[in-house]
Amino acid sequence: MTSDTAVLAEDLTKFYGPRRGIEELTLDVRAGEVMGFLGPNGAGKTTTIRLLLDFLRPTRGHARVLGMDSRRDKAALHRQIGYLPGELAFPGRETAEELLRFFGDARGGVPWTAVTGLAERLDLDLSRPVRAMSKGNKQKVGLVQAFMHRPALLILDEPTSGLDPLMQQEFLAMVREARDHGQTVFMSSHVLAEVQSTADRVAIVRDGRLAAVEKVETLGRRAVRSVEIHFADPVEAADFTGLPGVTQVEVTGPVLRCTVDGRLDPLIKAAARHEVIDLLSAEPDLEETFLSYYYTGEGTSDVAAAGA
Amino acid sequence: MLPPLVRKTWRDDRRTTIGWTAGVGAFTAVYTGFYSQFQGAAELKQDALPQGMLDFLGIADMLSPAGYLQATVFSLIGPLLVLMCATTLAARTIARPEEDGGMELLLANPLSRKGFATQRLTAAATAITLVAVAPWIVLSILVPAIGIDVPLGNVAAACAGLVLLAWCFTGIAFLAGAVTGKRGTVLAVTGVIGVTTYMANALSNISDSVSGLKWVSPFYYFIGGDPLHDGWNPAHLLLLAGIGVTTAAAGVVLFDRRDVGV
Repeated sequence: MTSDTAVLAEDLTKFYGPRRGIEELTLDVRAGEVMGFLGPNGAGKTTTIRLLLDFLRPTRGHARVLGMDSRRDKAALHRQIGYLPGELAFPGRETAEELLRFFGDARGGVPWTAVTGLAERLDLDLSRPVRAMSKGNKQKVGLVQAFMHRPALLILDEPTSGLDPLMQQEFLAMVREARDHGQTVFMSSHVLAEVQSTADRVAIVRDGRLAAVEKVETLGRRAVRSVEIHFADPVEAADFTGLPGVTQVEVTGPVLRCTVDGRLDPLIKAAARHEVIDLLSAEPDLEETFLSYYYTGEGTSDVAAAGA
Repeated sequence: MLPPLVRKTWRDDRRTTIGWTAGVGAFTAVYTGFYSQFQGAAELKQDALPQGMLDFLGIADMLSPAGYLQATVFSLIGPLLVLMCATTLAARTIARPEEDGGMELLLANPLSRKGFATQRLTAAATAITLVAVAPWIVLSILVPAIGIDVPLGNVAAACAGLVLLAWCFTGIAFLAGAVTGKRGTVLAVTGVIGVTTYMANALSNISDSVSGLKWVSPFYYFIGGDPLHDGWNPAHLLLLAGIGVTTAAAGVVLFDRRDVGV
């Protein structure tokens, strides 16, 4: 393990009795990168995160985080981690300020200006009891405590849940700044859009197994897009079915609708034989790419390539 | 400077601790304060109750000053209150945050598992000790003030027994929570052990054929040696402390070995 790997999971497997949490998950997160950790609910994202934090003990395999053993070096390791739980609950009845002072003290002292700075960015009132806060405000307290000590590694489980769009943007800016400071971010989500703009790579889990690890740009390039072409005259569906990458061909009179996986070229060449009036192509939607991974099982073959 | 987690735990337990300390102290003060008025009533009560019932309740005699204190403060309600508080606070160390979800942020503290469990237990145990010491403080003032004829050394011996009884059950409750992480289990295990061992001691008082039962009961080691009459019994007190420390240590070790928050 070298210092440029922040998280290294090897063959990580966790069963809860007979029920599978994750199985044979091998993953590395490079130091200084933002990695999105994606998968539908129940795929094993939280299980993986809890294994990395030593809340759970693996059935097989092991994890090294920041070059340390999750269990043996827990005390030293957790000082360098900022963790946002997926299901956020705060111990005690204190105000946000008292709670955050506790987190700061426990981590060996955090300059209070770092806390107030974050609170201001997120528009969070620190004088109120955390218990009485709305879900969104609790989420902000969770984010402040995760970021406040500038940890080497941020592990964020569903970080934007409960945040309004404006605060989501602010959060994404915080993630980008963290990367600029050389911090590593490992954030889970079941929504691709929220990691699309910040993550360098995404790991996709499905049914407890790693389905793919890809650069975000790669995911975008190979994304499925929906295309709609309006012709001057009615066309035959047969002219377009069977083109490479083109599926779900649907023709109503002069209008063609289809989805294209990969390059648009074959479709454009075929369409050029007719008079084209309008062409609409929906922006590559990672959500759809992601769903195609989940539902069709496509992408499993990418694991080997991504792991290399 | 105390560890932040210990101070945080105290802060979270503050209201409960103050409430129980005040309650247990007031209970002790009220019963002790009525000593002179109760003398007549005590006589009636003693005459009215069959000897077997008196033995079961651990009331040797209600007429002597030591017997009066034993019957009121130390026989049932005193230990019951202290143990309820001990169970409540011990259940909060691990089981409650694990059930309500607060555990994740607590456990994310830069502490080893054992360090975490030890600090949580230390904080709870000091709070419980404060509650259990309340009768000691009250009696140290009231016994001489009212003129109850019991040596303060004997009062101290009985009160120390109450503190160590609390430690004993704190250890048991902590162990149950550290292993299972479930508050219901903590309350059930501690409650069942508390009631059965109380009964074991009580029954051993009324029937010679089952008198051996008392040896398995923490309540015997707390009050069975009759500290109000006979003073300190170090072996009994050490045994109570030993059970508390052993179960607590087992809880710390077993908490270190399991999955948390599943």
